[in-house]
Amino acid sequence: MFIISDFVRVLRAADINVSTVETIEAGRMIDLMGFADRELVKTSLSQILAKSESDKETFDDCFENYFTALSFADASEDGVAGDAGTEHPASDNAGAGDEGPPAASQSLANGGLSEMVLQGDNVALAAAMARAASEVGLAEAKLFTQSGLFTRKIMESMGLDALEQQLIQFRREEDAAGVEALEGARRQLFEMVRDYVDTQIKLRTANAGRRVREDALSRVKLSNLDRSDMRIMRGLVEKLAKRLATAHSRRRTKAQRGVVDIRKTLRRNQSHDGLLIDLVWKTKKLDRPRLITMCDVSGSVAAYAKFLLMFLYNLDEVIPKTRSFVFSNQCGEVTDLFQQQDLEKAMAQAVTQYGGGSTDYGQSLSDLAHYIIDDIDHRTTLMILGDGRSNFGHPGHDILRDLAARARRVIWLNPEPQALWNTGDSEMHRLGAYCHLVQSCNTIRHLERVLDNLLRAH
Amino acid sequence: MTFKTQKALSEISHIRDGFAASGYICDQKIATALHLAQQLEKPLLVEGPPGVGKTELAKAAAQFLGLDLIRLQCYEGLDESKALYEWQYGKQLLYTQVLREKLSELMDGADTLGASMGRLNDFEDVFFSEQFLQERPLLAALRQEAGCVLLLDEIDKADSEFEAFLLEILSDYQISVPELGTIQAKTRPLVFLTSNNTRELSDALKRRCLHLYIAFPEPAREAEILKARVPELDDAVARQLVDFVAGIRKLDIKKPPAISETIDWARTILLLSASQLSAEFVEDTLNVLLKFKSDIEIVTPQINTLLRETRDAS
Repeated sequence: MFIISDFVRVLRAADINVSTVETIEAGRMIDLMGFADRELVKTSLSQILAKSESDKETFDDCFENYFTALSFADASEDGVAGDAGTEHPASDNAGAGDEGPPAASQSLANGGLSEMVLQGDNVALAAAMARAASEVGLAEAKLFTQSGLFTRKIMESMGLDALEQQLIQFRREEDAAGVEALEGARRQLFEMVRDYVDTQIKLRTANAGRRVREDALSRVKLSNLDRSDMRIMRGLVEKLAKRLATAHSRRRTKAQRGVVDIRKTLRRNQSHDGLLIDLVWKTKKLDRPRLITMCDVSGSVAAYAKFLLMFLYNLDEVIPKTRSFVFSNQCGEVTDLFQQQDLEKAMAQAVTQYGGGSTDYGQSLSDLAHYIIDDIDHRTTLMILGDGRSNFGHPGHDILRDLAARARRVIWLNPEPQALWNTGDSEMHRLGAYCHLVQSCNTIRHLERVLDNLLRAH
Repeated sequence: MTFKTQKALSEISHIRDGFAASGYICDQKIATALHLAQQLEKPLLVEGPPGVGKTELAKAAAQFLGLDLIRLQCYEGLDESKALYEWQYGKQLLYTQVLREKLSELMDGADTLGASMGRLNDFEDVFFSEQFLQERPLLAALRQEAGCVLLLDEIDKADSEFEAFLLEILSDYQISVPELGTIQAKTRPLVFLTSNNTRELSDALKRRCLHLYIAFPEPAREAEILKARVPELDDAVARQLVDFVAGIRKLDIKKPPAISETIDWARTILLLSASQLSAEFVEDTLNVLLKFKSDIEIVTPQINTLLRETRDAS
């Protein structure tokens, strides 16, 4: 069953969570159906191991790469059966195409390899290769640079020594044809093994690199990001947002013990002749947050705003009633823009439309108040993202006070580290006074945590 | 091994034929999933867009295997007492009333409270016995002698607590009832769960199931399905119809038409005895296929283009 457990490892490397139970189940399935029909094995394994639509796509890729046409066929069967090769009925082997002794029953050490190579018995070779790979621990390979080392090791384990002995012997006997054939075959073998090793290492490490990168990116300051990182970053934000969405998407009904719901109790107990046996407690339905966000899109903080909006864009499922505003020297609503346009376009349009001027908090807050004052109520959370630097203009804290009085919560996210607040033209002390939470926030991790708390609190 | 594979393949094609006989056209994937579910005795979680025949699959399986279908429609707030069992309180009360005299007779001679309690204790199990147990779908499924097909429909609509509660059944085919102990399945039922993916199901649940994703069918298979469901329909019209529907599904609309809607549309064609798809006919009957006004507005201007494409294809 080496093949299965090894394949599962590859799947795990590709971010499909396969549990032990599922691996066992896959083993049982192979036991039941055998390995002979590739399509059948693929469909069945996909049903057992990949449990969502996107997982299934990844699974298909992995399967195609792992079980290349060559190494499949009966090769994998031998790999699975291990030493069961001797038990094969004769008819079974005839199906493999080549005549000759059953490959798996051969001992590799005593010249079996050269025979296989010379006969071009690719199927047997592939089986031997897979077995050798497991012996030398190819699955543990971490880096692409190890490819040469493992190629050598696998060839040795397959019995390269014996082959070379034979080559020497042929030379001594001056059997030119034999030498040529064997050398050609060795070259072929080398290429075959190297290809195999390359594919295998790639399968196992392709995602590891990305994962390291993502982990690093989620901690890097957003303002330090390269343009080239944006694509990975976007995928990362989507993933984190999805995680938040799953964690919070359950309908939240919280039982409130101690208060009997008379109406429901009477109704439920009608069938008991009016005797109250089942008590029904009053429950409280928890509202999802209504969120209004206002992001500074002037040059200095635009990068942060972009990610916050990206998060909100992806959290649409959990926070359906979000209104988004952007501002620099005046404030404008971009809710519709974000709903209709693709994120990149919407972001660019928002910046060109509103991001031109230097930040004016007084004007922007009064614009915002104008837009939302009727819409803001005890369920609304107002989230403002900006550095609080008003270019020595009026900070508009009195307007923020009015808004805060109506809202459930006001959260201020400041991309600057706390030490820089209240220096220069920063008005954080005045603006922060009316916020329920003021937080420094400059990595994706921070953003995720803030949003998680926001969703949890409701 | 080859022998095993052959056997599996022949069983799978047997399943396909059997399903086709009962009017459910399934492809290799679906048949393989059924075979696996039977052989590995694992529940089968079926996902896919609405209307591709997830529920139908369970019904067809029951018909094919000649077993009863027990169905539990899941919804928010579904709990044990509706899914598993309930004590018939009313009946219990009635019995206590009727047996009151008998009870006082029994109590006769017991001097102290303790003694009467002791006597009563001897009879306690009378009231919490199978007699007063109202069985609900899950318990019923476990107690079927011959086994059955159990369908947990739209499991994603149920709460996550209920999902957790199902785990015992799904992995061990047993249920623990505090008053009665653990009830094992007499014959393991074939369990289907369907989900429309309105929320992510928990990993624990997914782990215990085989996972089958049914997508919208290829036009060829859909034509076959139409043929099985609406045999009176002309072959050429059927082909044109499924091509047209496939064209609509490629457009960016809210709810793409499902198989069930294609079937309804085919029936409409028969009813209005239209011999082929014309632009007017399509426009008049588009509301059978599309369920949102906005979708109809998107598709209407495209009708002629779509029709031309289907004509080119056929």
